[in-house]
Amino acid sequence: MLSCRRLRKNYVTERGAVTAVAGIDLDVEPGRFAAIIGRSGSGKSSLMAMIGGLSRPSDGTITVEGTDIWRLSDNALAAFRNGRIGFVFQFASLLPTLRLIDNVALPALFGKRQAAAALYAKASALLGRMGLRDYLDAYPSEVSAGEQRRAVIARALINDPALVLADEPTGDLDEQTEIEIMDELLGVNRETGTTLIVVTHNLSLAEQAQQIVHIANGAVVP
Amino acid sequence: MAGEIRGVRWLLLSLALQNLGRRKARSLLLIASVAIGSAVVFTGATLMQSIDRSLSVGFTRLGADMMVVPEGALTNITAALLVVEPTELVLDADALAKANLASVGRFAAQKIVRVEHSGIGSHHDSVDLIGFDPARDFTIQPWLAQRVNRGLQPGDVILGAERDAPLGSQLLIFGKPHTVFGRLGRTGVGTHERGVFMSFVTLEALAGVIHGQMSAPPAVLAPGKVSGFLVELAPGATALQARFAILSALKGAKVVAGDTTMSGIRQGLAALFDGILALMALMFASTALMVSVLFSAIVTERRGELGLLKAIGARRGQVIGMMVTEAVLATGIGGLLGVVLGVLMMRLFERSLVFYLEKLGVPFIWVDTPRTIAFAGGAIVLASVIGALGVLYPAWRASRRDAYDLVRSEG
Repeated sequence: MLSCRRLRKNYVTERGAVTAVAGIDLDVEPGRFAAIIGRSGSGKSSLMAMIGGLSRPSDGTITVEGTDIWRLSDNALAAFRNGRIGFVFQFASLLPTLRLIDNVALPALFGKRQAAAALYAKASALLGRMGLRDYLDAYPSEVSAGEQRRAVIARALINDPALVLADEPTGDLDEQTEIEIMDELLGVNRETGTTLIVVTHNLSLAEQAQQIVHIANGAVVP
Repeated sequence: MAGEIRGVRWLLLSLALQNLGRRKARSLLLIASVAIGSAVVFTGATLMQSIDRSLSVGFTRLGADMMVVPEGALTNITAALLVVEPTELVLDADALAKANLASVGRFAAQKIVRVEHSGIGSHHDSVDLIGFDPARDFTIQPWLAQRVNRGLQPGDVILGAERDAPLGSQLLIFGKPHTVFGRLGRTGVGTHERGVFMSFVTLEALAGVIHGQMSAPPAVLAPGKVSGFLVELAPGATALQARFAILSALKGAKVVAGDTTMSGIRQGLAALFDGILALMALMFASTALMVSVLFSAIVTERRGELGLLKAIGARRGQVIGMMVTEAVLATGIGGLLGVVLGVLMMRLFERSLVFYLEKLGVPFIWVDTPRTIAFAGGAIVLASVIGALGVLYPAWRASRRDAYDLVRSEG
């Protein structure tokens, strides 16, 4: 499902070049739940952004379902990201001026794979599954942080992705909400066979993963 | 209805609109500045075209820049310079054509005979019969306020504004029937308000009867002789240059200049219009730059949103399109308001300066409605283009960046 080879990411800062990811090799089998753990600044988020097609690697290759994603053109990568990868950020990432249902439907509307009515029906069902059936027309500011995060998960699932990447999806939530959100994500992984990669500081959550990747100083710790 | 269905274009348009609404003060200032620019462009274009049109008609109606008459002839100078004064002295009809002077633009010869007992008006009325060459004339026919619907023919006469006879009716001059071809507007030249104008051919046809009324035949009715010439300066030539050129070329002639202010204005305005056009172009460029700077800031401020849109699958074209839509909406609304502002400004102009000009007898002719609508549409399109051009570069730059960089840089 996922294969990373000699993956590097350098950032140029005012104080010189910083290496965030220093030659990582990583493989994740289809349908697996993998947890990436490590201290803040270890390069976890940079690794996730490269895998998710959001940040171009300085070196190395990333293959998702056999596609070397960074060899794709801009538009092809956008289409691939849209159709095959769902992303849950570590912060509330809904567009504040759109309703929850619009936020969820938007990636599918970009993809144009089905008629808008069908996509909205699917968005409505996903929000219902996340316990947000009564908030379809609500704006993000009208619901709680936990509910916003559920809506983000619904958005990540709208195009039936093969891979869901969650970068500390519960970092700013209380413990109970964190458990509920993670239950949702793990449920998706179990029920649909979607590959799930989660960056987390929560070791008890990581222990539930089928694969744990420990990163320190931009490299995988054996 | 819960979960009302919306298309991706609608959602992106909605995002653009809501972003404009989120920063009301900034959006209003942007719209206001574009509105002012558009109002200037719309009003400027409409007024320039109107003034140009009025001048081209008005100057033609006002007549020549100077007249050339025999030395010793009495002259009565008016702003209109409609005709030369009746005189016994004459010039050769081909004198100016032979001289071929560079400072002389157009010229038109006239023959003038003052007669009595012509049958026009009361018995002892003296009437000026004024002959002209319809092909070369530029000082009489432009004053036609009314005319029959055909070209001037031999036997036709044109009446001064104070003479009243139905168009197309018969008028007897020395017992010979003539057709009233038209009537002039008011010229302000008293004797000629009551004059009767006709082609050389028509006037020369009256030579025999006029001769019979007078002790000596009027020299001006002889073929190849004229009372004088009305002269228009060549573009760029000064009255002084023309005067010297004519006096050195035509012996026994004198040059009478009218109000040179008008020819000065005519030449000056052409240069002024070029200057106004250049200023409008500069204003266009500076507004585009201002919009670009503003939208650079807006794009920077909204990196997070743009990054998020890219992250969930928006293509570069869609990201750029959303920003361009937002800019075009703002500047297009500005353009529309600019046109409204321009219309109000022109109303004010009409009630003040135009009213005053018309009171002075200077015609002001507005451009026709279709052209005004075209200018209004052009101003709105121009404003929208400024918005699109202004945002294109910052949006293009943002769209090239990685989604993660955009999201992360917002903090």
